[in-house]
Amino acid sequence: MKLFRRAHRRAPSYGPESTDPVLLTAVAAGEAEALEILHRRHAPWLRARLNYRCSDPDQVDAALQETFLAVWRNAGSFTPRPGDTDAGAWLWTIAIRQLISQLRRRANRWISDIEAEPYETIGDASAEDTVLLNIEHGPLGAALHTLSPELRAAIQATVLDGLTVREAAQILQIPEGTVKTRVMRAKARLREALTS
Amino acid sequence: MSGWHLTPAQAHDYAARRSDEITAMSVEAHLMHCAPCRSLLPADESWLADSWASLRDVVDRPRRGPVETLLASVGLRAETAKLLAATPRLYQAWLVSTVVVLGAALLAAHLLPRGSLMFFFLAPVVPLVGVALAYGRGVDPAHTLASVTPMAGQRLLFLRTCAVLVPALLLCTGAALMLPHTTTAWDAVFWLLPSLTLVAGSLLLGHWIHLSAASGIVGVLWLAVLGLVSLSGQTVPVGVFAPQAQACWGAALAALVGLLLLRVRMA
Repeated sequence: MKLFRRAHRRAPSYGPESTDPVLLTAVAAGEAEALEILHRRHAPWLRARLNYRCSDPDQVDAALQETFLAVWRNAGSFTPRPGDTDAGAWLWTIAIRQLISQLRRRANRWISDIEAEPYETIGDASAEDTVLLNIEHGPLGAALHTLSPELRAAIQATVLDGLTVREAAQILQIPEGTVKTRVMRAKARLREALTS
Repeated sequence: MSGWHLTPAQAHDYAARRSDEITAMSVEAHLMHCAPCRSLLPADESWLADSWASLRDVVDRPRRGPVETLLASVGLRAETAKLLAATPRLYQAWLVSTVVVLGAALLAAHLLPRGSLMFFFLAPVVPLVGVALAYGRGVDPAHTLASVTPMAGQRLLFLRTCAVLVPALLLCTGAALMLPHTTTAWDAVFWLLPSLTLVAGSLLLGHWIHLSAASGIVGVLWLAVLGLVSLSGQTVPVGVFAPQAQACWGAALAALVGLLLLRVRMA
């Protein structure tokens, strides 16, 4: 009955130019058009980036689908940092996790699904990681060139993609311990290259 | 961030998976925070449209309400659960009037001498009215549409009857519990068997005449009999609900349900 139905949260007014947090508030209030704007804005780059992690376009598309469905269901849980008008990092965190569970579902059906961890933005990165995220500036690019592909992949998964060690192990298909040692070795190598 | 941004060529290379690893890594680190550069990536319009179309299929699906979820978790099929959950919404006016009528009966019972009589009269009729309004031409605005669906007929009639009976019986029980002389659980459900018997009777009668007319006839009969009994003054109408009478009601209900099942089998 209408009387007892939960009152709908009021959707803010939004348009194609609105910022991500405004759109996400609208999505949380059940506005499908706001999700369409977000989809149009973010799906292309998320797809391009996921394509570098998985060569099967069907799986990438399925993961993207799940990503935006998760956004549809959990839009209310997005809490922007003050002054941040961009949900790119949050969306990427969801997308890469969806891709991992997609791959796990297809490849290893016998491994039971692990409880999904809550979505968090890549927030409190260490100073070292912050340096790493500024690859485009300075000599870091050259330093990364000196790393072997294995070490680079470990750094990419843990720092750039913001994965936990366990998730990185799943997408790289190596044991967790190996991920840890490779990340440590890679960071040591980079530090050496950058300070010498 | 600083002045470093993607060139269109870099963006195209990245989107086409032609970037080398290091460039890809710096592009990715940059894209995470730079919306203008993200929009440099070429968007595949037809892919975007397809992707959104399949998303919208899921997003546009109405969310299931708590009643429907509960019914589905009990093991009902999805469409049956949806139908049952939606039916009371069709008869909101009836639900509201039921509450009003029962409230008036309660008020009478508490304020007037022999006021509980009103409740005895009404309790079995309230579910009957709901059933009368549950199915058929004239009462259901969508009947012409519903009657050509595979669900129409007996199945829809019985499903709707259940959907109406449950809230009606719950409301009546609640009202009976608030009557002034209710002390035992028995006092709260004395009207249940007569009520179900009336409903079964009208459903059976509904095979030959319009369901609303059938319910009307049964309801008027009930009120007339009860009125006569209470006017004659000798037997208190409570006698109609006495334990011996309950046995008769039970037998009548069983017979009527048996006949109904037989009719359904034959049909």
